[in-house]
Amino acid sequence: MDTDMTAPGFERIVPKHAPLDRIAYGLQFGEGPVWNARQGSLLWVDIVGDTIWKWIPGKGTEILLRPSGKANGLTYDRQGRLVVAGWASRTVWRMEHDGSIVTLASHYQGKKINTPNDIVVKSDGAIYWTDPPMAMYIPGMAGDDVQRYLDFIGVFHLSPDGATLTPVADDFINPNGLAFSPDESLLYINDTSRRHIRVFEVQADGTLRHGRVFYEARGDEPGNPDGMKVDTEGHVYCTGPAGIHVIDPHGNLLGRMKIPGHVTNMAWGGADWRSLYITTRDSVYRVRLQVPGVPVS
Amino acid sequence: MDWEFELIAGPYGGTTEGPAWDGEALLFTHIPESRILRYDPRAGAVAEFRKYTNRTNGLAFSADGHLYGCQSGSRRIVRFNADGSTSVLADRLDGRLHNHPNDLAVDRQGRIWFTDPFGRLPAPGPQLQGLLEHASVLRLERRPDRTWMIRRMTYDTTSPNGILVSQDQQTLYVAQSGYAEDRPRELRAYSIREDGTLGPYSVLHTFGVDHRGPHRGVDGMCLDTEGNIIACAGWQQSGPGPMIYVFSPSGQVLETHAMPVDRPTNCTFGDADLRTLYITTGGGHLYRVRNTGRQGWLLFPAPRGD
Repeated sequence: MDTDMTAPGFERIVPKHAPLDRIAYGLQFGEGPVWNARQGSLLWVDIVGDTIWKWIPGKGTEILLRPSGKANGLTYDRQGRLVVAGWASRTVWRMEHDGSIVTLASHYQGKKINTPNDIVVKSDGAIYWTDPPMAMYIPGMAGDDVQRYLDFIGVFHLSPDGATLTPVADDFINPNGLAFSPDESLLYINDTSRRHIRVFEVQADGTLRHGRVFYEARGDEPGNPDGMKVDTEGHVYCTGPAGIHVIDPHGNLLGRMKIPGHVTNMAWGGADWRSLYITTRDSVYRVRLQVPGVPVS
Repeated sequence: MDWEFELIAGPYGGTTEGPAWDGEALLFTHIPESRILRYDPRAGAVAEFRKYTNRTNGLAFSADGHLYGCQSGSRRIVRFNADGSTSVLADRLDGRLHNHPNDLAVDRQGRIWFTDPFGRLPAPGPQLQGLLEHASVLRLERRPDRTWMIRRMTYDTTSPNGILVSQDQQTLYVAQSGYAEDRPRELRAYSIREDGTLGPYSVLHTFGVDHRGPHRGVDGMCLDTEGNIIACAGWQQSGPGPMIYVFSPSGQVLETHAMPVDRPTNCTFGDADLRTLYITTGGGHLYRVRNTGRQGWLLFPAPRGD
């Protein structure tokens, strides 16, 4: 795998000449990778292909769900259930252990939410997602209803009991990827349109405060802040021009991982959480890194 | 008879378009702010009808009262439902996204004929598919199993703009409006055959070019009860200036009326007797003319009183 703009400390994380394996191709719009540690499998979505895929290393790929409501971001909760940013379906939903689907959120104060993009579950069971209106605007990603109702674009918090939905940010243009710091005291949220990452302090009640710009993505190559994840040392990995930007906890660029195509998201997996799975619009790649990612569930 | 143009709303800044009479009020679009506004003549006031319309341009009602629009920002025709939701019916021509719809006309069979020029602005978000290699008249219609599909209807347009279906359903009027080419701007009449395909077009009127540039030609149009075409045309920068033409079905120029402002974009008849002509403009105005002496023909709603 190619890298550039490297600073001291980058090679400790990203080994030189790390092979970039391609494990899937032919997607129309790949996204939402997530590792299932219990099963040793990887899920991802093809948004335009309206499918959630499952890959078992050494065995192969199968369809988990189709149609998928053109789902986008995926994660797992503490009980190992799949939690989904439903994108064109304009809901956040969960797959129960028996395979049935439960809607967790669809409306805020009587109005349909926008189009949930990416999603994380906090250790207390609260669910956070970004809620841009983009699936209503992008040709080819329409769901049943493309009418926007909310007058703000933000990020939502669903209480652990599933009963209370609270906007914790309302001033984004295109909120996209989000990720907690390892101790969950900080929440990083990027904005694709503004080409930056903001970082917020997470309060005891789950709301956010003191948001400030953490990193601004620069570069003429194709790519924008989209998917974003954090490793156990607090480095932030975010899609951007040329591929994936690796950023230290102070907001300094340590180096760029150059990935073919348009990178959309990434997720750690493998038994040691050191395999970084990377989705692009048409493919899924894997590279072995040296610092483990924050585990999911 | 000189038409008396009354300014009743705006200018809003940026193009107003898509005037459509809903039976009680006049809907029209304000493209740069992605809104549909509603002028109620009894109240004499404009209200916001819809927000977040993603640069919707032309509007038209079907015979059963459904409202369709050209959501040019997202490269598709949409239906604005009475419950406030917005539906996408079909958005692909032979598996590919089409261009940026401009204007539309619904026929008695509920088929939606629309013009699909290349457009100026890209759609939001990742550019997943480029534009088509052609800019044509397309038709959105139901298959026998009631699912929606899109069909290509013309093979000889480069920049189709305004569009109408005649009252007898036998003629499709299309404003061919490419500016930067060798071809003239034309108002065309295509015959609609029994099987719904189009025959060759006749040119009803041609707009020229000179050292000041191409003459703008026709943008949007509407019909009167005699089958005449009331067409918004022209601009101040070249040609005879911004005007409303009245063409007979054979292309005879019956009347022309100079507009008080530049670039009329579209028009429709409205009010209960359908005798008021409403006009939108590039500068974001809404005008009306009450003394045209003409009555409009609309597919929806039917006229009440005379």
